Amino acid sequence: MSPADLDQMQTYRRELDDVARKSGALVTGVADAEAFTAAMEGQRPTELLPGCKTVFVLGGAQPRAGDWKSPSYRHMETTSTSDRLTAMGNRIAQHIERRCGYYAVTVPPGVDRARRPFLNIALAAELAGCGSPSLAGPVLHPEHGFMYYTAVLTTLPLAADGPLKQPACPAPECVSMWNEAGTTPCMATCPIDEGGCLGGKLEDGRIKERRYDVARCTTRVHTSFIPGFQKALEAVFDEPAKEKRKMILYSSQFTRTLWSMSYSNVSQGQCFECMRVCPVGSKQRDLR
Amino acid sequence: MGFYFVDTALYHQYKGQVLAMSQAIQINYPEHLPPERRQPGFSDRQIAEKLGIEERVVREIRCVAEREFYPIDEWEAALEFKDRACKGFAAGGVAFSTKKYIDRAKADKAAKAPGSP
Repeated sequence: MSPADLDQMQTYRRELDDVARKSGALVTGVADAEAFTAAMEGQRPTELLPGCKTVFVLGGAQPRAGDWKSPSYRHMETTSTSDRLTAMGNRIAQHIERRCGYYAVTVPPGVDRARRPFLNIALAAELAGCGSPSLAGPVLHPEHGFMYYTAVLTTLPLAADGPLKQPACPAPECVSMWNEAGTTPCMATCPIDEGGCLGGKLEDGRIKERRYDVARCTTRVHTSFIPGFQKALEAVFDEPAKEKRKMILYSSQFTRTLWSMSYSNVSQGQCFECMRVCPVGSKQRDLR
Repeated sequence: MGFYFVDTALYHQYKGQVLAMSQAIQINYPEHLPPERRQPGFSDRQIAEKLGIEERVVREIRCVAEREFYPIDEWEAALEFKDRACKGFAAGGVAFSTKKYIDRAKADKAAKAPGSP
């Protein structure tokens, strides 16, 4: 690439960061499309966009500090979705195609027919230096902690940022707690050996092992979503008594699930308990 | 029926293997772990190759098995868990979850201290 081309790419990057920030993104980063070597087959950038060179990642749309304080988990169940970030990604994709003249694809939220993500967006965020994977699962930004991410695949050959040098998880507080009590706040909240989802070990201040019960996490993250709907419908079909079937169909849980599913074009997170106790980014949530 | 769904006999024959090979319970699954420690799940195509069955059969078995894994009671338990954890945090902060582990560690340490009964 000539010096003039490099200058042009830097200009495009500044423009994209500007569009992202004005759209409400907190962080941005660029990952090299060739760096997704650990991704499952079918989930690599070039498999979704032939000729893809880079992945532009945007993060933001965090729950508000007040949301984390609420004693009602129902509140965040309803307000926390990926749609705002996806809209920001679409703006970036449009800018890349119209202004820069390169192909761009916003990775769709949700899952494909095989119930797999179209692209591992958490991996994209990690490779773009927007954060690092946590023991609990979500990618955490060192300053802001938990947030939503979206990714735009593009043939635009921007310079990649690469992963963070120092991971955000485990936080120093968690390392201290591990050394003292053999657990961390996220694992203490949802311990895999006591009916929860999370387990693992720290060693030398880093994550050494991780165990994660996906199926149980699904019951918590998607309690009132498509998985919950399928389970309830199965219960209805299994129930021979007409009146009992009605009790299930009209129940609060089934009704809540149907409300939730009417937003089925966006990813919904319905459990935040491991993140509620996470110290990464907690200073941003400490208000008056 | 006008759409494909997996034969129940096939499902029961391969369910356990498909769940294990796709890493339904993820142990050291994350991409950032060192390659020597990482245990990524196989893709549906890879599992199909290993078991000698069609990829779409694997896909359907995995999708059904993942959903069947926990009974509906676990969904009810999820509501109780979230309510308890959320209200506990609002009232007592992180200590609501961590206190019992810290207290247990302190008690263990005290019991091992010289001179303890």
